[in-house]
Amino acid sequence: MSAPLFDKEYLKKLEYLELIARRLVFGRQQALRASVKKGASIEFKDFREYTPGDDPRTVDWSVYARLGNLVVKLFRQEEELDLWVLLDCSGSMNFGEPLKFDHARRIAGALAYIGMANMDSASVTPFAADLRPGRERARGRGRIFGLLDFLSGLSAEGETNLTAVARSFVARVRRPGLVVILSDFYGLQNAQRAIDQLRFFKHELFVIQVAAPWEFDPPIRGELRLVDTETRAHDDLTVTDGMLKRYRAAFEKLGADLRTYSLKYSIGHALARTAVPFDEFLVGVLQRGGLVA
Amino acid sequence: MNLLAPWALWFGLVGAAVIALYLLKIKRQRQTVPSLEFWQALAGQVRARSLFQRLKRWVSLFLWLLIVTCLMLALGNPVLTLGKVKPRSIVVILDNSASMQTLEDAAQGITRLKQAVAALDEMLARRPVDDEWMLIDAARQARVLVSWTRDRRSVRDAARSVQPHLGSADLSAARELAADLLADKPEPTIVVLSDGAAGQVDLLAAKDSTLVHWAIGKADDNLGIALLRVRPHRQQAVHYAQIRVVNACSNEVSSQIVFELDGSTTAVEPFTIAGRGTWEKTVPVNRPQGGVLRAYIDRPDALAADNEAFAILEPLRPARVRLVCSPREAFFFEQALLAMEPLVDPEASHTLTLEEYERAGNAGEPADLTIFNNSAPKNLPASGAFIFVNAWPADLPARITGILEHPTISIARRDHPLTQYLSMNVATVTRAAEVLLTERATILADSNTGSPLIFLVQQPDRMSLCLAFDVLETDLPFRNAFPVLLRNAVVHLVSQQQAWVRDQYAIGEPIESLRSLPAGLEQVAAGRLEKNQQVRETTLDVRNGAFRYDDTAAAGPLRFRIGEETAYAAVTLNDENESRIAPTGARAAEDAERQLALSGRLFSTVPWVALATIAAALIGLEWLTYHFRWTE
Repeated sequence: MSAPLFDKEYLKKLEYLELIARRLVFGRQQALRASVKKGASIEFKDFREYTPGDDPRTVDWSVYARLGNLVVKLFRQEEELDLWVLLDCSGSMNFGEPLKFDHARRIAGALAYIGMANMDSASVTPFAADLRPGRERARGRGRIFGLLDFLSGLSAEGETNLTAVARSFVARVRRPGLVVILSDFYGLQNAQRAIDQLRFFKHELFVIQVAAPWEFDPPIRGELRLVDTETRAHDDLTVTDGMLKRYRAAFEKLGADLRTYSLKYSIGHALARTAVPFDEFLVGVLQRGGLVA
Repeated sequence: MNLLAPWALWFGLVGAAVIALYLLKIKRQRQTVPSLEFWQALAGQVRARSLFQRLKRWVSLFLWLLIVTCLMLALGNPVLTLGKVKPRSIVVILDNSASMQTLEDAAQGITRLKQAVAALDEMLARRPVDDEWMLIDAARQARVLVSWTRDRRSVRDAARSVQPHLGSADLSAARELAADLLADKPEPTIVVLSDGAAGQVDLLAAKDSTLVHWAIGKADDNLGIALLRVRPHRQQAVHYAQIRVVNACSNEVSSQIVFELDGSTTAVEPFTIAGRGTWEKTVPVNRPQGGVLRAYIDRPDALAADNEAFAILEPLRPARVRLVCSPREAFFFEQALLAMEPLVDPEASHTLTLEEYERAGNAGEPADLTIFNNSAPKNLPASGAFIFVNAWPADLPARITGILEHPTISIARRDHPLTQYLSMNVATVTRAAEVLLTERATILADSNTGSPLIFLVQQPDRMSLCLAFDVLETDLPFRNAFPVLLRNAVVHLVSQQQAWVRDQYAIGEPIESLRSLPAGLEQVAAGRLEKNQQVRETTLDVRNGAFRYDDTAAAGPLRFRIGEETAYAAVTLNDENESRIAPTGARAAEDAERQLALSGRLFSTVPWVALATIAAALIGLEWLTYHFRWTE
């Protein structure tokens, strides 16, 4: 019988991470974040010419008195920060030792806990070919147990279609938030299209590539029948030293391309190796910053 | 191509097994991967790279089939020849003479004998397995080392165990022996592994069409002592050493020869010899008391065995002559003997009548030569040297059958030491006995009717020179011929009679006593005289009044202690044919190979070795392709 995914040790690490997150990230930026949107609040932001339909209460009469133009005052809108953790639950995540999926779930649970403790809401949404039902907009750290139960009940299977997932996500979630995508990002072209879509809808993005040691240096050679974990399709291949060399280069390139793309568009990026404990990984991420911009 | 071991074809079954293994579908190990497309993209590059990638597996099968084929053929010991090879009966004569000890590669120490053994190895490897083989070692005597056999290993082992012989070889006797042994054999072949023995093998090959000469050797840089002979000049109380040096190579060579007497250098003779030429000289050696003479050439060359030679200088002692004659007939003999001093010791020589001689018997004074003139004892003494004039004992194998009146005397043997400087053409003989020889004797002079007038009877321990006429009935006493004949007789008969052994022996020749040893003598001490004049003696048993010494494999002086007396003999090469080491024989080794229908070579080696090497190389290549398959 395998060890439980979220044990007491995990919960202790969550508290520790939450403290670190509070000190490193939220201590500087406070829980409430200033929205880029303009709206009703007491903090003045700008003027705009009056157009019919504007609330007459917002007209700046003193300007009208001096200049004779109707302008309305704009105020910075204060809004909640939503954390969305998109968790890849496709079959490809069900691979490696320890399983990439387990590692990703631990990271997702931790991120959600930090979000619930320091932000307004945290959501965990699993996906594979499309979005799957998740736990959305959980507030308060007391909801963590329900969330962990939810994560424990997830299974990794099926194919990935990140483009479809992004399309569904932006259709459902209109208000921009911080979107953390936990995936292995095979098929980077599709992933990039999906991220572009999310960017277009003003979501702040953070991508976490989950990879197992096997994927960096597969200990295989010879006449093999390779079976796909998602589709169960197979192919007979002769794996040579040369092919392994090319594989390692290609896998490195996959990560490098994702990192380059992320840097180009100011997207947070991190590589989560399953060999590194999730808490060490998260501490590193929090220390580097970028998770919460 | 014939397979000497056709059972190896069964090894072909391994090839069938290899094919079966390659045709069986490989059970691939299943390996789950996160994204098959990722791997397929990589594999697509490999698949598209070249057709060879897909053919590798079949290349491997092809290589393995080639490996199995090569191993099968190698095990089969193939013989590459045109047409069918008939099994033969082959006698191999291994020339084991001194010239075969020539160093062909001084650095590696490879002699011609070793090359001959290697040639035999090659012959054994490249002839069909059905051949019958015999090996003859042609040293001083031809000796069968391995009798008829098909076991090549025993032939090979026997050839390798042959001990080098530093003397002459009797190849003619070896060929005769081989021909006798091949008399009733099918496809008879005699193979002589030799450097040609200065043309002797060519002469043998000209007489015998079944003889194949496999020429061995190339070196020709050699100066050799072809002859060292010492003759005493008793009159001058000096020895003369005759030496002959030959140059085997085609270039003119200068060097020097050193003479040592009992270990001390006595003379150095420089010389220059033209290519293939000979240098000869006679030098006096003034050592009347005798000694061991060693001559050596002060120059290293390909053959060391003939760079030194030995000879014995016998002590020059005046002869003691006993004249048995009536006093009134003794005058001419006594005058002639007195004139021979120092050949004859006048103090120890004496004249007596036949009665006095017979009365004294064995108690009489010893003599080296006894002359009986017109009187003879009843029986021939047991040993000694004798001159019988006009009468001899009845037990001498010469019977008087009549009287010859006024025979014309003429010399029959000019080359004999007894007739040296002798001229009898104008001598007058009034009367002579007509003699019939009943046993073999050397006729030195005969009459016009063919009757022997002067003859020498050589018997064990006895030498008898007989004159079939009364000297006083000829004019010989007034001619030089008479003292010359007496002198020759003293020199030759005394020197021959005095020796227990000859002064020189060939290498490998057994030494036996020339005359009966004294009664009661049971052992003789013999040993080699070392450079420091020390002798390590061995004891020889005396059997039937004689001894035999066999340790003559190396050149050098030997000493024999026979009772109170000491005798010396020299073992030496003294063979010009051995010194002329330049290989002879027009037929090259390739011709011999063709005559013997040897299997062709594959990559300059015997086929099975080449095939085994190819198989090993193919295994390496297959491993590389296998490795490359996983590491490309």
